[in-house]
Amino acid sequence: MKIPFNRMMMMRLAAILLVLVLAVVLFFIGKQHTVLLDNKAVTVNGEEIKAMKMVEVTVNKLPSLEFVPRDRDKVDVTRQKHTITISYTDENWEEILITRKFTVPLMEEMVIISIPTLAANPDAPQSLWLEKYELPAYAVQAAPADEAIVTDDLAGLISL
Amino acid sequence: MTLQRTKAQKVKRFLGNNTVTILFLVICAFGIPLSGYSANYLASEVVVRIARNSFLIVSLLIPILAGMGLNFGMTLGAMAGQIGLIFISDWGIVGIPGMLLAMIISTPISVALGIWCGKILNMAKGREMVTSYIIGFFMNGIYQLVVLYGMGVIIPIRSNALVLPRGYGIRNTVNLIGIRKSLDNLMTIRVFGIPIPLSTLIVIALLCIFILWFKKTKLGQDMRAVGQDMEVARAAGIKVEHTRIVSIVISTVFAGYGMIIYLQNIGTLNTYNSHMQIGMFSVAALLVGGATVSHAKVRNVFLGVILFHLMFIVSPMAGKNLIGQAQLGEYFRVFVSYGVITVSLVLYEVRKKHDRGIAGQILAQEQEVKA
Repeated sequence: MKIPFNRMMMMRLAAILLVLVLAVVLFFIGKQHTVLLDNKAVTVNGEEIKAMKMVEVTVNKLPSLEFVPRDRDKVDVTRQKHTITISYTDENWEEILITRKFTVPLMEEMVIISIPTLAANPDAPQSLWLEKYELPAYAVQAAPADEAIVTDDLAGLISL
Repeated sequence: MTLQRTKAQKVKRFLGNNTVTILFLVICAFGIPLSGYSANYLASEVVVRIARNSFLIVSLLIPILAGMGLNFGMTLGAMAGQIGLIFISDWGIVGIPGMLLAMIISTPISVALGIWCGKILNMAKGREMVTSYIIGFFMNGIYQLVVLYGMGVIIPIRSNALVLPRGYGIRNTVNLIGIRKSLDNLMTIRVFGIPIPLSTLIVIALLCIFILWFKKTKLGQDMRAVGQDMEVARAAGIKVEHTRIVSIVISTVFAGYGMIIYLQNIGTLNTYNSHMQIGMFSVAALLVGGATVSHAKVRNVFLGVILFHLMFIVSPMAGKNLIGQAQLGEYFRVFVSYGVITVSLVLYEVRKKHDRGIAGQILAQEQEVKA
């Protein structure tokens, strides 16, 4: 079968291309990432950085979270580029405000940000204080028992 | 020339034309006081169900216009919508972008299935409804094969929350928390304390406007001509088969979108069941609204959703209060759904025969006048 390559065909191809571009854009802007915020003592380049006594963290325009030592919390964000704001009082009772932009790799479901590392090295590249996080094996291991598949058509009534 | 009818005949004809609707009004009139639900609760539930189901039901209108009856094959579109939702759940795309991406994924699947279904229905002219019903069952088998054995093996699915413990196949239920009520909550207003999902209603209104506009286009007029008489349409130069296929494709694509809107409201996808009942309940709701196999309007959709779902809401509680068993109400509503379709189809045939009789009487009157 010969496919005519006329104006109509070009318009159709352009429309398909446009939809594909839209799909890619939607993938980028709709992809959800979980950002774990961690306030624990860490060792970076052989130097120990202590957990912060009291710190307030805001990611984008989400409600701010307060952390004491050994606290961990999470925020769910969409898109790749985000802003993190850390606010704390140092030993001289001075209010310190650090704002950094960071990028979450597209296919990364979960990343962890070390707040003490970021506060100690506010100008360091993000690879120092942000890393990929993988759930521990016990959390991702599949249940041993197989799940029974329900194909009873009346079961759909539950949702009505 | 028209046949002169007495007032009693007119009333009888009106009752005959609206039997199902009147029957439902009576059921609701008895059921509402028995259920004991407040008017506020009933109104808010009905609004939710209008937003949830209307898009799906509107997708049935175009094949009726093309004379293909009630498209039970809309389950094909529903399956396509569900496949889109499975993919976006796996990829972790949330909110409105997630919904739109699911719609984009579902579109080529719906188009392909619609073309295939339309071609089969062209081979089964005059028996479109039963054929599309069986196509739905057949495609359900293919869907189960793909989702149960293909996903996780041939089609990559990464999320452990979706894949069965054995390592392939999708679980019974998929949590759609990422897109749950994302369209409904985009714009919500409260009227007398009842939350109205304005954004969803706007989308449904746009679809209704599209349908009304579509009927006036060249293609819409062609469909109407094909629906009235295929041979006359063919003689007028209309590509009958192609027009019928287009009507089924449009219906299937809209059914896919409707399923996504439906499931974003529910928030959970029953992978192997959600699509099964959709065709039947949508058809039943449209018939309750006063539509027939050959004639349906946008107003039938909304009247049908209100009456049919009002019965759905009140029947379990009415059953419980009346007999002490809510389960009876559950059975009742399934029985009524099937019953409505049966009664409507029977009435349609009876009316068709009756109309033929009237046409004969008119002809006889004309001949008498001439003589």
